[in-house]
Amino acid sequence: MDTVPPAGVRVEGVSKRFQHRVKGALWAVREVSLEVRPGELLTLLGPSGCGKTTTLRMIAGFEEPDEGRIWIGDRDVTGLMANRRDIGFVFQNYALFPHLTVFDNVAYGLRIRGLESGELARRVGDVLGMVGLARYERQQPHQLSGGEQQRVALARAIVIRPRVLLFDEPLSNLDARLRVQMRDEIRRLQKELAITTVYVTHDQEEAMAVSDRIAVMSAGEVVQEGTAEDLYHRPATEFVAQFIGRVNLLAGRVVDAAGATVTVDVAGVRLRVFHTAPLRAGDAVRLAIRPEAIVLAPDDPGAEGEVVGAIVARTFLGEKVDYTVRAGAQSFLVTRYNPGPGAVLEEGQRVRLTLASDAMQLLPVEG
Amino acid sequence: MARPAGARASGASRDPALWVTVAVLWALLALFVLYPLLCLLARVAMDGERLSPGAALAVLGDPNQLRALGNSLLLAALVGVAGTALGFLFALTASRAGFGRGWLAVLDAVTLLPLISPPFTTAIAMIFSFGPRGLITYHVLGLKGVTVYGLASTFFSETVTYFPIAYLTLRPVLAAIDANVEDMALSLGASRFQVFRSVTLPLAIPGLANAFLLLFAASLADFATPLILAGNSFPVLPTQAYLQITGLFDLRGGAVLSFALLVPAFAVFLLQRYWVSRRYYVTVTGKAGARTAVKTVAPWLRPVLLALCLAVAAVIAYFYALLFYASVVVALGANHAWTWRHYHVIFTEGAKAIRDTLVIAGLSMPLGGLYGVVVGYLIARKRFMGRQAMEIVSMLNYALPGTIVGIAYLIAFNDPPLALTGGALLIVACYVFRYSPTGIRATVAQLQQIDPALEEASLGLGASTAMTFRRVTLPLITPAFFAGLGVVFIRSMTAISATIFLVSINWTLITVRILENMTELSLGPAAAFSVLVVAIVYVVIAAIGRLLRALRAPDAVSLGGILGG
Repeated sequence: MDTVPPAGVRVEGVSKRFQHRVKGALWAVREVSLEVRPGELLTLLGPSGCGKTTTLRMIAGFEEPDEGRIWIGDRDVTGLMANRRDIGFVFQNYALFPHLTVFDNVAYGLRIRGLESGELARRVGDVLGMVGLARYERQQPHQLSGGEQQRVALARAIVIRPRVLLFDEPLSNLDARLRVQMRDEIRRLQKELAITTVYVTHDQEEAMAVSDRIAVMSAGEVVQEGTAEDLYHRPATEFVAQFIGRVNLLAGRVVDAAGATVTVDVAGVRLRVFHTAPLRAGDAVRLAIRPEAIVLAPDDPGAEGEVVGAIVARTFLGEKVDYTVRAGAQSFLVTRYNPGPGAVLEEGQRVRLTLASDAMQLLPVEG
Repeated sequence: MARPAGARASGASRDPALWVTVAVLWALLALFVLYPLLCLLARVAMDGERLSPGAALAVLGDPNQLRALGNSLLLAALVGVAGTALGFLFALTASRAGFGRGWLAVLDAVTLLPLISPPFTTAIAMIFSFGPRGLITYHVLGLKGVTVYGLASTFFSETVTYFPIAYLTLRPVLAAIDANVEDMALSLGASRFQVFRSVTLPLAIPGLANAFLLLFAASLADFATPLILAGNSFPVLPTQAYLQITGLFDLRGGAVLSFALLVPAFAVFLLQRYWVSRRYYVTVTGKAGARTAVKTVAPWLRPVLLALCLAVAAVIAYFYALLFYASVVVALGANHAWTWRHYHVIFTEGAKAIRDTLVIAGLSMPLGGLYGVVVGYLIARKRFMGRQAMEIVSMLNYALPGTIVGIAYLIAFNDPPLALTGGALLIVACYVFRYSPTGIRATVAQLQQIDPALEEASLGLGASTAMTFRRVTLPLITPAFFAGLGVVFIRSMTAISATIFLVSINWTLITVRILENMTELSLGPAAAFSVLVVAIVYVVIAAIGRLLRALRAPDAVSLGGILGG
């Protein structure tokens, strides 16, 4: 299948209000600005009700923004209906036409475009081949499994060679194994066709697997935007740190803030962390550290580690072990990978933890 | 339709109570459904002791009767098409034009009126409006010598009377179409009209077919409207059958004519059961998508749709207002002085009819409600020999035109040993077996929504079967009981086609009196009777509707859902 020159998507200060039965007028989306580069896959990630689907539906033209503008390529599409925007949309529940066969479902958009029947059949055949449904043309949607319906929905969206492809939680109706398979396939097709794509999900692992970049949304606003690595290693807020991966959040107070390192007192233990923003002694801060970044060793003579504690719980998960370590009033979640037979520590064992300065992130205290 | 809950349904072999119930029901169905139909069949096919279908064919060979058959089918087809179109307009406006509850309440209230009235109420209003001394033709337009009788007025009157059935059938069908599917078509580049034509309309086809069949059957069976409006120029089968029996005392001829109705009626029944019911589409699969506003009705079209609906609603409102007006003036069209005289007449001379009707409706109501729930429960939850046969037989009297049922009862129960005609018992039996099937279907629908695991949970907690039925199942099917009972009451108050053959000096009905008044041209009392029936039914319906809401009945069991057929 030949490719179309990909167009970027620009969302500029878009807001959408809705009327809540009890709470009155609320912001579903508030001053959201996004830039999706041509050929890129941007994921809107966030918990349910964060405004990600509403944002996507405004890009599609299913909802109208109360404020702001939306551009596809160099065209301002804000006032246009969905049928004038040249998009492909994949719904959470697939929204297949139940009265049409697989072939007619996929051919729908091409027929609307008045394609001549030979060319139409060729393109439908091609795209069904791409999604692995080559011999399914005559099937009715209800005869298909969830995964197959998903593929038909995908084929129907890409066959029209849209300038932008939009996904609304496309995998949430599939079981776990199929989800992983489908997300890889979506990513493969998207790269192959180089279609600019906006993808909505609440599943952080799915987001990390399919995206070039991720925009994390919360309460109608974009809180951070970046690659999966940016978000994981350099979360800007507590919310992002907690939403992407697991994290230990330690409450502390700045003791000394001279130069590029800050010394923070966390429950009596002094930890040093790299940080450049201006802070003063006495400021309340949070330290974020991922469970796998903490080094854990039995509390043997000569062992290193500034925090001394005891294992209060452990969960053996095969390739890794999760330990809950209690040190005074503070507890830590620590993950150790591939411990090997006999290397799993017991509950009650006294241990030392090392929290390296470069593994920690200093976050502002929220609220 | 009803499928038992697979292996979970209990068998009859180890449940004597079930066994006895099934036996009693079969005996009743045999007596009040199968036996009369067999008698009708025998009367049609036999001449005395001999089998002679030739005589029956001779009656049908009469060109007049053939014309009546043709007229019946033509009328039914016209009413089916027009009523479905009108019902679709209302359903589209109600479910997809984005109007608030206020407007919908107006549409619902107006469309409820024809559903709860005697089936010839509109016909009476037509006479008042367009008759020889009609309010519009004579008084407003000053026309003389116009005739209201014939195909056009019968068609118009039946369409107004029966389109609410199409509305109630189509509204849930349209409401169930996932707006996301339409959004999808829009996103693929289709215009609003293309979406409507290629997605919305095809998805509504099974509903449209069903609505058409329901209206076709209703018009085919309608006997009172043509009796009032069709006149001599446009004979139809049910009225011909009635006149054959009451006018010419030719029971056999009437039987043959009513029998000719059986073929199209049965065809409709089969089409509905085996074609339409399997073609409904499910558009919401898996988790429902985001809620979305319907966009396929263009903003400029919304007021147009509403205006059209309100115009139709205005016609209905005018008809009923006219009916009320006719009941409180001395003589509509001649003397418009205010009077309560007609009400005085119906509460003195007509008091017996009112009393009889209320007694019969009062008896039929609980019996019909109970019968509906018991049969529905057996069909949905139990497994026994002949379960499916019972389901079909229990629907027969409901599916057949009332004229057939009435004549069959007349033939079967006129002579000893079962000389029941003229008595209240036979009328009650007729109503119970003819109008309870809606209760049966409501019960089945309700039970199908309830996981048998609920009953198993009760058994698992140590409750006995009887206790489980009383504490779990019974409360769950109570709404269906009241809905079924409500329908039996409405029909007992308003029906005429079957029972007109069964009334006597001893037991008569309001609807029969209204028809008599119409033929005697005492229009005032006819109007007063009609107003009374509508008022009584409205009060009872409102009460039952309230009860159903209090019981949190699901939509499938609401009165509206049931009246829609």
